[in-house]
Amino acid sequence: MASIAVGEQSDNAPTKVKDDVWINSSCNGCYSACGIKVHRVNGVVVKIEGDPDFPHNLGRLCAKGNAGLIALYNPNRVKTPLKRTNPEKGIGVDPQWVEIGREEALDTVAAKLKETRENHPDRMGMCHFDTNAAPFIGAWTTAFGSPNGYQAASGYFCGAGLHLATGLTNASFHCQIDLEHCNYAILFGSQLGFGVGHCPNITTQEMSDARIRGMHLVVVDPVCNHAASKADEWVPIRPGTDAALALAMLDVMLNELGIYDAEFIQKLTNGPYLVGPDGLYIRHEQSKKPLVWDATAGEARPYDEADASQTPIMGQFTVRGQSCQPAFQVLKEHLRQYTPEKASEITTVPAQTIRRIAGEYAKAASIGATTVIKGQTLPFRPAATNMYRGAYSHAHATHHAMAVQLMNVVIGNMYVPGGHFGINPVGPWWQIEEGIDGLLVCGKQVQMGPPPYNFLNNKPEPPKSHKLTSLFPISFSSSVSQQLAFTDPEKFGLAPLDLMIQCRGNVMMTTVAPDTVAAALKNVGFIVSFANYLDETAEFADIVLPDAHYLERMDPSPNEPYTSQNPNSGYWYWRLRQPVVEPSFKAPHWLETLIELAERAGFLEDYLRVLTTNTKTRKPLKLDLHKKPTLEELSDVWLRTQSGDDTKGLEWFKEHGHVKIKRTLQEEYPRLALRCRVPLYYEHFLTAKGYVEQVAQELDIEWSTIDYTPLISWFPCPAYEPQAGGFELFAVNYTLPFHQYSITAENPWLQEITERHPYAYKIMINSETARRLGLQDGGAVWVEELEGRKVKGNVKVTECIHPEVVAIACVFGAWADRKPISRGRGAHFNSLLPFDLKHIDPISCGADACARVKVYPA
Amino acid sequence: MTRLGMVIDLKRCIGCYGCTMACKAENATPPGVFWNRVLVWEEGKYPVARQVYFPVQCNHCQDAPCKKVCPTGATSQRPDGIVLIDYNKCIGCRACVTACPYQNRYYQRETRTYYPGVLTPFEEVGYAKFPPKVVTKCNFCVHRVDQGLQPACVQTCISKARTFGDLDNPESEVSLVMRNRHVFRLRPELGTEPSVYYLG
Repeated sequence: MASIAVGEQSDNAPTKVKDDVWINSSCNGCYSACGIKVHRVNGVVVKIEGDPDFPHNLGRLCAKGNAGLIALYNPNRVKTPLKRTNPEKGIGVDPQWVEIGREEALDTVAAKLKETRENHPDRMGMCHFDTNAAPFIGAWTTAFGSPNGYQAASGYFCGAGLHLATGLTNASFHCQIDLEHCNYAILFGSQLGFGVGHCPNITTQEMSDARIRGMHLVVVDPVCNHAASKADEWVPIRPGTDAALALAMLDVMLNELGIYDAEFIQKLTNGPYLVGPDGLYIRHEQSKKPLVWDATAGEARPYDEADASQTPIMGQFTVRGQSCQPAFQVLKEHLRQYTPEKASEITTVPAQTIRRIAGEYAKAASIGATTVIKGQTLPFRPAATNMYRGAYSHAHATHHAMAVQLMNVVIGNMYVPGGHFGINPVGPWWQIEEGIDGLLVCGKQVQMGPPPYNFLNNKPEPPKSHKLTSLFPISFSSSVSQQLAFTDPEKFGLAPLDLMIQCRGNVMMTTVAPDTVAAALKNVGFIVSFANYLDETAEFADIVLPDAHYLERMDPSPNEPYTSQNPNSGYWYWRLRQPVVEPSFKAPHWLETLIELAERAGFLEDYLRVLTTNTKTRKPLKLDLHKKPTLEELSDVWLRTQSGDDTKGLEWFKEHGHVKIKRTLQEEYPRLALRCRVPLYYEHFLTAKGYVEQVAQELDIEWSTIDYTPLISWFPCPAYEPQAGGFELFAVNYTLPFHQYSITAENPWLQEITERHPYAYKIMINSETARRLGLQDGGAVWVEELEGRKVKGNVKVTECIHPEVVAIACVFGAWADRKPISRGRGAHFNSLLPFDLKHIDPISCGADACARVKVYPA
Repeated sequence: MTRLGMVIDLKRCIGCYGCTMACKAENATPPGVFWNRVLVWEEGKYPVARQVYFPVQCNHCQDAPCKKVCPTGATSQRPDGIVLIDYNKCIGCRACVTACPYQNRYYQRETRTYYPGVLTPFEEVGYAKFPPKVVTKCNFCVHRVDQGLQPACVQTCISKARTFGDLDNPESEVSLVMRNRHVFRLRPELGTEPSVYYLG
């Protein structure tokens, strides 16, 4: 039964239709999109459950997913289009909304679109975090003619360092562990398998099984959060020093114990590439290919012309009179500076703990071991590290992420049983590709931004869009660069925005320094917000349009295969999100409104053309370019294309929910398809350095390029510098498994459990520190950062935090008047973070999420 | 004989509150009423410290103190061990609330709503299932169990911490997960014989 009942509806009364159905759909409590079955009785949603047959969650659902239905009925949802009557904009300024009809709203917006598109299409910015409708929205922005398609509205911190590190080393967007076989896992600032992060639901099931099986789990984090509390060992660390710890562990492994996967490094990394004293590869004079030493031939040869098994990864050689060393040897020598003793001073982790964990990890890797999976022999490396935001959301994000990732590379655990996994680099219609110098890169479908080596072919010139690509040529993520450009476009030679369309995201709360964001939003000529609630960002809009709740939405691609499907499930899967109820007020999917607006503003045909040519579907999308499609028609075409079965269209998916297809062994273990090399030495960073310096010079701006070094190092964050005036603590942010983004804070069920949780709304501070500062449990305090930004909250005195750290969870502390559930509850962590270049990673463009603070009674 | 019970693996539980929310949706409990809770506390001294997550609910005791004190027979026990409350018989005297050594019974004078002053369609349907001025508690999702389904908290648990089934059957899943593990029940000294078991 999958039919949609239509009946009499009013704001509060259930429909009169007699029905009792379970409808297949897709959750949207976070970006992960678990498969759900929704129970609707007489038009009222009474329960949401996981679909047991869907590989993404196998029938289970987290707190957010279970609580989703009460938000559907939130009476504070935006129900009609609204027009601002107060021209003044600012935090706490009443927009003086008046209700207007949908026609008037769309006419107004269409006129603005037309005007902007005719004059300066690049002055339209699209700001959203609608990951499930991203391809459709991206095509709309492109068709409009604007390069400024943001995905900056949420997820501001989540991926920058990570996406870059994995994009360069595992040819994918993210990282996972083969938890089915792993015996020793170290999480750095990550709660993988604890209800958050990538594919949280299924990964939590896998992690739970792994822990029961006896996998040893170490969690490195300043906060003893949900992951650390369940780990075999919590390693508290000073914030922003994860790279120093990882590099010291690498020093122990490579230089003290001599444990590494020499064969992997030799054959599948750039470890044998010869590096000269200037840090550049020694290259073949004609072909320009990097040279390796061919021991059999007794001479240097291009990497692809030597017998790989005869290419040393250590030693000293002379080529064309120049002294050189294999890259691995250079790395190994470089690591000697990170002794456990030195790292201990930086990280506060005892040297003996560093040595012990490094040794346990290296031994658990079982280098040389193999295993047979489905008749195929594969290396068996049941040890892996994993990172997330806590480790790399720092000013030098790239080096943090890469340092943790190097711990995977040197033990050769890439895509083998028990080891490190990226997210689906090999699929039914895509492959790992070759970048430069024999190094791997993502397939073009997987690639999120410009490919990382593209800049080598481009002229160093000022950026052309808010993504600031030429200043961040290797970055995979543009959330922060777009905010840089948006905040100060003139600095980068760019035009300010005349028009912004904003949906599914709340930049005022989810990015840093709300004062800075407010100033930038005030400078935008006209803002259109599609909103569920009149949140902190919608308060800056000129027109607000009601947005649909996910139980009212149709989305044909909630589980995009290149970046979001679980790599360990053994399946590929495609599912439909379909409306379960009709809203009691007109709140269509914002995509539907955008299509309507494209028609009114005269670029519908362009939109459909871009959609058919730009999207990364399995086969080309076929659409009638002259007819406005309904969302149902678009979904139908999309589903037929993506499922690979032309008989499976919208009606089929409505009834059956999803298709799932077994992965081939190569798709399950992409090591079998790995022909290119994983870099452990980043020679192209040196080229990028010169490139970026030229761009900065042309723009006449100061720009740090110290991070562009080919060897992974530890650089201190601004917060690491000692400070006078009582600024002795680090403030950090951490997540809870029952919240995501700022929107779940407005769910009254989740709010109620949060209120009862001992830590969630509180400011965590170590008992010794609290005693020293004279702070009482439950007492009100100010947390103030160096520039005077401060937040107020109540103290939770605890043993579960590093003594130098205060921690504030999630995105709480809302201030919008029309968000009565979350307003004034908890502290808003991001208000403590400054927005300047010092706090942005120059390579990945990741934002620094720790601040030096003082804490005092309020 | 069938004796229904639940096993909660504390090593698996990650304190995500999925169970609490699934229970709330399944049983439409109003604000302040939690048939299924997760207690959180911490133990140890920095740096050897951790948060502890401990789900609790009605233990469906074999020798249930709540049943003994009920003056109207509103609290009863089925042969399979599920302890139920008949709202038609409950007079709201709350003797059982006091008698329950586990604090898992709830009395509400009036039904509040989640959005002050607004009765959502979900709540309108859900709150009709039990009137105010009676005592309520976890019933092991008896309506689901009688259809051969798992209780909502078991079905949803993302760390697979919960199992439910026949404690008397040595081959049932609940019996199997208890093998070779440290098993305990809450406050055994009281002799209440809870049907909820914990794995430490």
